Amino acid sequence: MTPEQHRAIAERIERSLAKCSPADYEMRIEGAMLAGTHWLNASLHASGVTGSGNDVMHSYLLTVNEYRRLCVAAESLVKALSEIEDLRPPFVRGNREGGEAAAQRAVALLAWLRAAGSRAATHQ
Amino acid sequence: MNIAAHQSKVEKLEALRARLDPLQDFELWFWSGMTAGTHAVNAALHHARATRDDDVFATQPGVYLVPGADGSLTPAFHPLGDVLHVGRPKVEGAIPADVAEMMSAMEIVEHHRDPCLREGVTPTQAIVTECDAALGRCLRLFRERISMGASR
Repeated sequence: MTPEQHRAIAERIERSLAKCSPADYEMRIEGAMLAGTHWLNASLHASGVTGSGNDVMHSYLLTVNEYRRLCVAAESLVKALSEIEDLRPPFVRGNREGGEAAAQRAVALLAWLRAAGSRAATHQ
Repeated sequence: MNIAAHQSKVEKLEALRARLDPLQDFELWFWSGMTAGTHAVNAALHHARATRDDDVFATQPGVYLVPGADGSLTPAFHPLGDVLHVGRPKVEGAIPADVAEMMSAMEIVEHHRDPCLREGVTPTQAIVTECDAALGRCLRLFRERISMGASR
């Protein structure tokens, strides 16, 4: 997908996220993961680090080699996505206490990914 | 995770899904349904004693976050409890027909996951209708099983 396509989907997901209440923390975390992945891909494509036919799906599905390569280009973004992904087992699949605070963190990380993705897409 | 906790997740996710527009909010509408269905399948598998209902949280097939005595979570190998998605991992052994049907219904939903959410396929009303019917079937079977009480 092109950076513009990633951007359009990420923005749509973020509009849907606005319909979630703090108590809907499972989907706030999942939505942040989905939109954040699109922003990361927009950023990586716009800077030429990855091609539009080579999208990151989850950071943990990357080979170790590719994870390291992407970290050279955009370490803070890759790590932001990883941190959102790490919130899924305890709070989305599991019933660990603290889901609302975890979702707030996920949404803050999404804002970071969005800022970088928007910047990269604008300057390409 | 225990059955009651899965049930509570299903109810929460269904309530949110009902507030979303299936086409305008397709991504979250789809994802809340897929997550609800996966919780229902996990609860049904526990109910049928096909998988364990330990309060450990799946990270990847075979690896779970396990609570320690101090309350912290540590990744560790663990026998099959919750699956991540239907088929990930595959559940070995006998599965009752109604649970197998729930899993088949969720495969119909999962089939649309990557194309529509990650590969740029535009969601259509036909996809919405198909996913809605499949999830509805899965959750109806789940409720029938749970309402029967003891494991079968």
